[in-house]
Amino acid sequence: MKRTDTPPNDDYQIRCPRLGHQIAFSYCRVENKGLPCFKAVDCWFEHFEAEPYLKAQLTPEEWDKAFNTQTQPKMLTLLDLIEQAQKIKS
Amino acid sequence: MKVKKIFLPESELPRQWYNIMADMPTPMEPPLHPGTGQPIGPDELAPIFPMPLIEQEVSQERWIDIPEEVLDKYVIWRPSPLYRAYQLEQYLDTPAKIYFKNEGVSPAGSHKPNTAIAQAYYNKISGTKKIYTETGAGQWGSALSFSCALFGLECKVYMVRISFNHKPYRRIMMETWGANCVGSPSTETASGRAILEKDPDCPGSLGMAISEAVERAVGEETAKYALGSVLNHVMLHQTVIGLEAQKQMEIAGDYPDIVIGCSGGGSNFAGLALPYVLDKINGKEIDIIGVEPTSCPTMTRGPFSYDFGDTGQLTPLLPMHTLGHNFVPEAIHAGGLRYHGMSPIVSQLMMDDLIRAEAIPQMETFGAGVKFARSEGFISAPETNHAVACTIREALKAKEEGKEKVILFNWSGHGMVDLAAYNDFNSGKLADHELADEEIQRALDDIKELPKPKQFKG
Repeated sequence: MKRTDTPPNDDYQIRCPRLGHQIAFSYCRVENKGLPCFKAVDCWFEHFEAEPYLKAQLTPEEWDKAFNTQTQPKMLTLLDLIEQAQKIKS
Repeated sequence: MKVKKIFLPESELPRQWYNIMADMPTPMEPPLHPGTGQPIGPDELAPIFPMPLIEQEVSQERWIDIPEEVLDKYVIWRPSPLYRAYQLEQYLDTPAKIYFKNEGVSPAGSHKPNTAIAQAYYNKISGTKKIYTETGAGQWGSALSFSCALFGLECKVYMVRISFNHKPYRRIMMETWGANCVGSPSTETASGRAILEKDPDCPGSLGMAISEAVERAVGEETAKYALGSVLNHVMLHQTVIGLEAQKQMEIAGDYPDIVIGCSGGGSNFAGLALPYVLDKINGKEIDIIGVEPTSCPTMTRGPFSYDFGDTGQLTPLLPMHTLGHNFVPEAIHAGGLRYHGMSPIVSQLMMDDLIRAEAIPQMETFGAGVKFARSEGFISAPETNHAVACTIREALKAKEEGKEKVILFNWSGHGMVDLAAYNDFNSGKLADHELADEEIQRALDDIKELPKPKQFKG
């Protein structure tokens, strides 16, 4: 079967390695506060032309924010969240 | 009758966890606080973790005692049995001996309670009354709910909304164990309300759920937060798997040539592998493989070639079926156990060449799961199928080479709550897709100058 240029419909679901269950592309497309999940191309490239499709859908800034943002160790993510939560608490 | 299962008596349950931090060839650098540039200190983590777990997170002690109270809970299902997969060997007609450690026998059905029990215990003795966490499909949430129930702790789980709505069974498990499970984003937190204000139908994400859990943990004096993967203390607790397996393999009279585990956040892989990594550091010849979903085009149609492990071309050349390192943009190329959701310990061990990564496409993993179910009987969790698929690859390679390899893999959980995924596979809803020839050619051009291994026949 040839890969298509556009995503399959929501009946077609693949395993999300982060959530741990089947998921449609429509979720992966908006997972990150409206932007695609950082693994969207990784997970979907086998099923359709995910990279060119998303590049066409996103502005260059959105693309960078979704896929080219420097990630940080989990511990630093937790530290950020603690600091945010302390601000909310106070 | 041949011995199928190797049990350890409860008296042989390991009394200590193995901490690989003491033996890392490249010592782990502590994460630095972005504001101060100094290593993150215990006080900064104290709002969400009890002090014993923070101490374990940075400990350099090789062996850490497993408290008696934790052992008392472990014996509900531990030591877990080691199986010899005779029927799978027969099905594959391989000379390889295949063993698997059955972690699916825990009450929650996976390896996750190995750390959930320990985390609940350390919270209990530190005065914690309630633990908050986040979960996707619920494997971690159910493990923690079960563990909190055993130690009389309250448990609150923020479950990603889309999972909460569509995957009820583990939510029901959590509630049965007494936990309170809500869909995230929720109206219970400031971060959740802010998201819902902008998008009332937001399906949620793990990032949102973790924000809610941490916010609640920080906001309550006697509450803490728990994480089921990635962190060093989680890897530590999981080593009980490999330590038991070493004793059982000794009873079987075999030593593994190959150790395999699937690696999402790294914890079940590390749990089986780390004690064997110590053996490898001490001179044993052993191939230790972490298996992950295909995340870049490691394609069957590409030549078997060497490629860089990343687009920065910093990692050693690795032989792999490949379409080249420039096929996907740098930041997307998350293959090789090196993305930020992976345990830093596992990532470092790969950089030190003590373990290696293998990526397997989804269709192959489900096909392997079906073969395993039809030979050994057990229906594997879809993540576990990655380890099963890699085991089958290695067993068939042993057949081609005519070698009696000993393969040990971690059967990390059962798939009885994941049958919808099998249904999609069995009914043909999932399909293999081919890449366009021009895409393949473009990628192959990138790697044509790289050296080719002996197996290359292109």
